Amino acid sequence: MKVTISRFDPACDSEPHFETYEVTAADKARVLNVLDAVRDNIDAALAYRHCCRGGQCGSCAVRVNGEPVLACMQEASDGDVIEPLDLPRIRDLVTDIAPIIANLAWLNGADEVCSFVSHDDVEDMKPLRECIECFSCISSCPAISASEYKGPTIMCQEQRLNLDPRDKSDRIIEAVEKGLFSCTTCHKCVEVCPKGIETPKKAVEKLRAEAAKRGLSLPAHKALAALIEKTGRSVERKEPTFLERVPDVIEPYGEVRATVGFFVGCMFNARVIQPALDAMEVLKINGVRVIIPKDQVCCGSPLIRTGLSGFVPELSRRNIDAFVKAGVDTVLTICAGCGSTLKNDYKTPFRIVDITEFLCEIGYVKPEKVEGVYTYHDPCHLLRGQGISKQPRELLSAVAERFVDMPARCCGAGGGVKSGQPEEAAKIGAVRAEMVKKTGADYIVTVCPFCEFHLHQVTGLPVKNITTLMLEGYNRNTKVL
Amino acid sequence: MSIAEKSDCHVLVIGSGGAGIRAAVEAKNFGDTIIISKTITGKGGCTVMAEGGFNAVLKDEDSKKTHFEDTMKGGAYLNDDALVETLVSEAPDRIRDLFSWGAVFDMTCENKIAQRPFGGQRFARTCYAGDHTGHEMVMTLLEKLRGSDVSIRDELTVVELLKDGDKVCGAVTCDREGNLEIVKADSVVLATGGAGQVYDTTTNSTAGTGDGYALAYRAGAELIDMEQVQFHPTGAVTPYESRGRLITEAVRGEGGILKNSLGERFMKKYDPVRMELSTRDIVARAIATEVLEGRGTEHGGVWLDVTHLPREKIEERLPVMLNQFMQFGVDIREQPMEVAPTAHHFMGGLRITQNAETTLPNLFAAGEVTGGVHGGNRLGGNALADTQVFGRRAGLSAGRCESYAKSIDAKAVKEIENKIDALYKGTAKISDVRKSMKTVMWNNVGIYRNELDLLVAEREIKKLIDSPLRISSPREISDAVITQNMLLTAKLVIEGALIRRESRGAHTRTDIKQSWNNETSPFGHTFFVRGKCGIELKEDKL
Repeated sequence: MKVTISRFDPACDSEPHFETYEVTAADKARVLNVLDAVRDNIDAALAYRHCCRGGQCGSCAVRVNGEPVLACMQEASDGDVIEPLDLPRIRDLVTDIAPIIANLAWLNGADEVCSFVSHDDVEDMKPLRECIECFSCISSCPAISASEYKGPTIMCQEQRLNLDPRDKSDRIIEAVEKGLFSCTTCHKCVEVCPKGIETPKKAVEKLRAEAAKRGLSLPAHKALAALIEKTGRSVERKEPTFLERVPDVIEPYGEVRATVGFFVGCMFNARVIQPALDAMEVLKINGVRVIIPKDQVCCGSPLIRTGLSGFVPELSRRNIDAFVKAGVDTVLTICAGCGSTLKNDYKTPFRIVDITEFLCEIGYVKPEKVEGVYTYHDPCHLLRGQGISKQPRELLSAVAERFVDMPARCCGAGGGVKSGQPEEAAKIGAVRAEMVKKTGADYIVTVCPFCEFHLHQVTGLPVKNITTLMLEGYNRNTKVL
Repeated sequence: MSIAEKSDCHVLVIGSGGAGIRAAVEAKNFGDTIIISKTITGKGGCTVMAEGGFNAVLKDEDSKKTHFEDTMKGGAYLNDDALVETLVSEAPDRIRDLFSWGAVFDMTCENKIAQRPFGGQRFARTCYAGDHTGHEMVMTLLEKLRGSDVSIRDELTVVELLKDGDKVCGAVTCDREGNLEIVKADSVVLATGGAGQVYDTTTNSTAGTGDGYALAYRAGAELIDMEQVQFHPTGAVTPYESRGRLITEAVRGEGGILKNSLGERFMKKYDPVRMELSTRDIVARAIATEVLEGRGTEHGGVWLDVTHLPREKIEERLPVMLNQFMQFGVDIREQPMEVAPTAHHFMGGLRITQNAETTLPNLFAAGEVTGGVHGGNRLGGNALADTQVFGRRAGLSAGRCESYAKSIDAKAVKEIENKIDALYKGTAKISDVRKSMKTVMWNNVGIYRNELDLLVAEREIKKLIDSPLRISSPREISDAVITQNMLLTAKLVIEGALIRRESRGAHTRTDIKQSWNNETSPFGHTFFVRGKCGIELKEDKL
């Protein structure tokens, strides 16, 4: 098999370069076996770390085709491109992890005493205790280079110590100092973690909740929480809202193929209203009856992500009641953040479905092609929060004259970062803007109002909601209307 | 090539598994301590990979006497009584240390430290953290270490120990780029682990290369029982490149059963009472016999089955196993695992006293690099306990050595320089030599041994030792040195296997009929020192 390895020798190279090697590998060989083969047969000086060969020591994390993996667990494939983690480089695939280790907190216990720890303490800490310090999360976290954030595994350790009754230090203050409010909750760290540690949910949001109780939340977050408690909405009303403009029930054109409840979300209700109205039109064309309970409120996502979640049970109750009263068994969202929150943080007696997944499921009316070059930005809360990536691409391919794909990366708007730390959001956004530029696209399409808003700011390009684009396609097709 | 003197410290700890870190944490109370690791500290030793658990007598119904007897019986009575006594007496305190330092071990609903049954023990005394107990221990120890002022030096290979007269007084190290340095120390702790890597199929990490045996032997320390290599009964069989990967004994501890290709639960023929939870030597031989007699799987293994257990139990107690097999396309909740024996643990090693003193002044040792604690066969769960009990003792003893002005023997340093310079003129390719060694050791010095095979192995290893290794850049020095260490270790294993003319513990000689059993054997330790080897005779049993 052929593999390409990024090589770098500080003694003689000014820049890293790629070398391609042809090696023989056994069936189901791992990337590590391939590296061994290169070292044993081609270049004995190839530098890479390895140790346990069983995914337990975390020494051998590298990037394969751009994504962090453990070389000892990842099956090698012909054409693999192997690079070091995105960390300061020492030589070849070896990176400098000492600065990261220096940020990891250790237990500050009362020595020589076997302090008490209970079954429940242990069960709480366990999910945060599996970290093997491979630092894949640090390599792929978008917030680190844009802020003072020390990274996911650092937060994971802070929360593990925070939960430990044997620890005597104030881990909340420490976490804040290490950039607690810089995490965009994009969940990239969970995606790349070989142990699947859910750092944003189980560490970052938990630490933020405790910070909030102690009044340490960012001013912008406090203001937002106050607004939600006062109005039930995270966006102020400046003009007639979506809910004020639409009837309680929207009947489709022609035969009713399905009935759904519609959850609008604060951004689409009051700030970027047109895409929501466009979505209603798309649903009408596709034979979907839409029931819109007017007593629905904010889903609470901004509160949960920022740790100010005291009011969330109330919001959750009001939303669930509203849709139960409406008698629907499916509730449709068009905002990735709301959808992810309803799916993952609520216990609903009805099904939550994103509009892209729903349209693909019931089969959508084919739109005409719309001219222009389009790229798709995966909203983190759709891609990782709901596992949806194929459906929006399917819809986009159907409607766009030309679709140029790009790899997913957080735009910087999530997790309260845009409101709380706008400079960081801008920096993360700038990286994303570069990626967009490389695609040569005229338009960005996405399924999240936060991403939509932010991407437009950082790229200057028009950003369209997927349903808006579909409606444009339908408008070119007079047969449909 | 010249080697600079760079550091001077009170205690130098070599090796960063459970024993090394424990020793460093203890030694730093006495003065400047440096810990050197071939890998990133904490990642290299076998401790971090240990899955099953830590044996300690914690309940009133259990007793240290029972733990002692189980360990001696399991060890084929080749263990040193005093070392075992120390192990069982102090294991409970050492697990308490870990708890006070933040360990997150499983607890029962009654808030007691949870314990599970392990092979060869009459009481469920194995404390655990799911099936990543060693990882949990290392993380705890690392936190303790990082919070101390021990100087941590990663990714350095020790080329040779240095002596001032008889006293061990430091070491020569080599980094990734081939830079050599001298670290002087009032005392040195060796905690370099075992040498599973001298075999083709092993559970060991790539760092398990026996460096400590070789370094100590060349420095003149005495080693014992090097032939006693534990083959863990259950290593992975497929895929080929993952062969040997450990399938934890906890799988059987939690109720996993072994079946041959005919579907027979064959352990009933070999140990009808303890069945799958017999000692490792017996289970490994049972599996090897089933395979040799044609009742193995097509890949030369047997089946280890947990599909009869509740899914939640598998998910909760064996998450690492579940995840690892999933990666290779096997769902152990629904399919059996294919397993075969794999080189696992070296019971032999440096001869030590209860205070972890080796036979050389100012050289101490702990963990797998030592011999005598586990006799001829180690019980699962005793190694992690060993690392903590003797790691602490080695740290204490090393710490208590007096500080003095050390003088390095220039001649010895010159010899090291010459040895390294010679590598550039060598002829043999390192990777070829390693491969040949591993194959010979696996084929001829495995579970079943006989004189003829051993003599062939002795000849082959000698040939490899005599073919000078070749390097072309200083970056290959470490690999060359490590390969030399592996070859020397392999040689000692073979010597021991030839000298021990009996079947005892993990060492099985098919060519020898014996009239004694483990308890009545006239033989004691095999021993190796300064080019000589022999076997102790017990006059009362002759």
